[in-house]
Amino acid sequence: MEKHQDKLRLATIALFCLLNIGFGLYAWQMPMLIGGAAGMVYAAVATTLGLHHSAKPAEAPLPSSAPTIADEQPTAPSDTDALVRRMLAQSRHALLLRKQVVGNLHEDQFQETCEQLHACMALVPEGDVVLGNTYNDAEDELGGLTSAMAGRRMHVNPLFLDRYTVTNRQYYEFVTAGGYRDMTLWEPQTWTAVLDLVDQTGQPGPAFWQNGRYLPGEEDLPVVGVCWYEALACARWMGKRLPTDAEWVKAACWPVATGVTAIVQRRFPWGDSLDRSRANLWGSGPNRVVAATEFPTSASVGGIYQMVGNVWEWSANDFHLSPHQTYGGAAPLKSIRGGAFDTYFDNQATCQFESGEYPLSRRRNIGFRCAIGTCDLVLDLPPSALEDQPEVELAECEAVHA
Amino acid sequence: MTRRALQPMKSSELAEWALPVLCYVCEAANSRDTEYCRRCSAPMALAHQALGQTTRPKMVAILGPSGSGKTVYLGMLMDMLSRQPERLQIVARGAFSIGLQQTTVSALARCEFPAKTSTEPESWNWMHCEIHRNDALAASEPPSFLSRLARYTPRKRQTALTNKSSCVELVMPDMAGEAILEEVEHPQTFFLVRSLLRNSAAVLLLLDASELSRGQRDPDFAAMKILSCLKEIELQGGTGRKSRRSVAIVFTKVDQVQGCRENPEEFAGAYAPGAWQHCRQGFRDHAFFAASVVGGCTWLEVRGEGRRQIPLRVEPHGIIEPFEWLLEKLYPRGRP
Repeated sequence: MEKHQDKLRLATIALFCLLNIGFGLYAWQMPMLIGGAAGMVYAAVATTLGLHHSAKPAEAPLPSSAPTIADEQPTAPSDTDALVRRMLAQSRHALLLRKQVVGNLHEDQFQETCEQLHACMALVPEGDVVLGNTYNDAEDELGGLTSAMAGRRMHVNPLFLDRYTVTNRQYYEFVTAGGYRDMTLWEPQTWTAVLDLVDQTGQPGPAFWQNGRYLPGEEDLPVVGVCWYEALACARWMGKRLPTDAEWVKAACWPVATGVTAIVQRRFPWGDSLDRSRANLWGSGPNRVVAATEFPTSASVGGIYQMVGNVWEWSANDFHLSPHQTYGGAAPLKSIRGGAFDTYFDNQATCQFESGEYPLSRRRNIGFRCAIGTCDLVLDLPPSALEDQPEVELAECEAVHA
Repeated sequence: MTRRALQPMKSSELAEWALPVLCYVCEAANSRDTEYCRRCSAPMALAHQALGQTTRPKMVAILGPSGSGKTVYLGMLMDMLSRQPERLQIVARGAFSIGLQQTTVSALARCEFPAKTSTEPESWNWMHCEIHRNDALAASEPPSFLSRLARYTPRKRQTALTNKSSCVELVMPDMAGEAILEEVEHPQTFFLVRSLLRNSAAVLLLLDASELSRGQRDPDFAAMKILSCLKEIELQGGTGRKSRRSVAIVFTKVDQVQGCRENPEEFAGAYAPGAWQHCRQGFRDHAFFAASVVGGCTWLEVRGEGRRQIPLRVEPHGIIEPFEWLLEKLYPRGRP
């Protein structure tokens, strides 16, 4: 593959030089045009070859193919600092704190990474949570579709959950780092679909972007127009994953066990009644997506913002149906939670309400936030104590995904 | 033993009961205690409410083939205007006007669609409502004669004048799609539909955009039939003229269709060319809109009930705009 690319590169340069020499001073525009066209042809061929190359993960389990960071990574120890800084700027702190990677960090880098982790993510403690209607005396308020879920008690292991939904700015880092070209980030069954995940101008990116980037002024808005697979790929690139339904509900409802079997849960992150000033819902906001940092009073007990309102959030699970219901549609749905700026009914904006969407849908009101289990991170041990851990070169840590 | 009690005969009361009450829709004479018009089956409550008013409320026909979303659209429109009165404020007149809103909203909140409208005219829902337009919005437009006059009148009188100018009354029925098409294809089958088509001041024609985008032409043919019938009724066979009745074509269920929301007229030209052509050639005032009530749907196989479609969540878009446009056509702000 490399040989082919070298030959192409040489041929293009040679052609460009010959044309420049062959034409006189007055015909200088022609060689430029022809040279430009040749360059474009070369770029297209190289891109195609690159795509085919990266689409073979079996041959390259730790590919050096797509991510630009990996290409730029020098092995000199002095450049490790720059790489760590860059990864922190890209919100990839979870990747740096992986057991296989953390041994590469100095003490101060480790501290800095931990600080960023705690600033960006909230700890959700271990415990049980009830999915579905927890109000036994209330009438069937969630309706025929979801009421059958009542009483599903689940155990949740401790995890970190993003305090804010992933923003356009964060997602842009994933796009520019070649996230859409690195096939190791994507589910194998979606490889054919990835080429079609483009923005309004045909560039890889969310559905409502233009020219491969977000619209001016929208950098702090939650990224929307991404399908479930795009959300998953971005989460993996950050060294995280999508939260499960139980994890999401536990972080939002903040259940408290008041007995051996009894659990008290909130309907909304801030309490049991809907306070419309705390959430961007239909009739309480500007009827559009707002910045992820707005509505500061929407915080849950654990300090996670906008879990209700603004944008729905993709969950890792399939949409749940009761035992006497089966899908009549073409494909199973993925679960989304939390309501959005245009959610009309109060009972569809609760922490418990679950809606569904096709995994390849790219809607204006669906975004995501990421999670990572505490068991996957090194948080309290100094890096020196991890000498017995099998270390992965920092330059290769791009491949350590969830 | 039966007790006899003689009631005094008051001639005025007897005369009142003897006077016929004209049906609001078809203007047939009915006795005072009739519940539904004996001719067209419209509720006589509409006629009783209209009796005490100086200005006759205008009728808006909500038309469209079966399954196009008329009931959901109308119910949500009422509910949205009641919940968010900044743009338009709606006040239902009579308990019967709230039934449709209640049924629709209750069903959607349970993640279900409301039951299909029956073809029996007596069971159709009607809405008679007062609509108050926001004066703040009116202020951004050229001042009307009344508002100019209001500047030179005392404060109390001024309020009365401006309120009067922004309050209008409308009557809107929710008819079954099958009945509408049956009457259009075979006249005199449903006299109520015929009367509404004749007397309505404006028309909201709803078409299922998801069906059209899948290449099905049935909604387009249905729209062509309805538009053709409307024009025939108004122009009485005259040719070469355009109908003066305002028609808003609303593409529904656009949450499942790409591109329709951004440019409904272009969508009409591409997927409903018949309706688009009829509007251009036959109606002077027409506009295309895109609306959706639910954010997503799926099909469920429910044991014992069969296959049914359910809404996954409610996210209304583009519901108020067509109604606002029609209202502006019926009662322009600039005119007293």
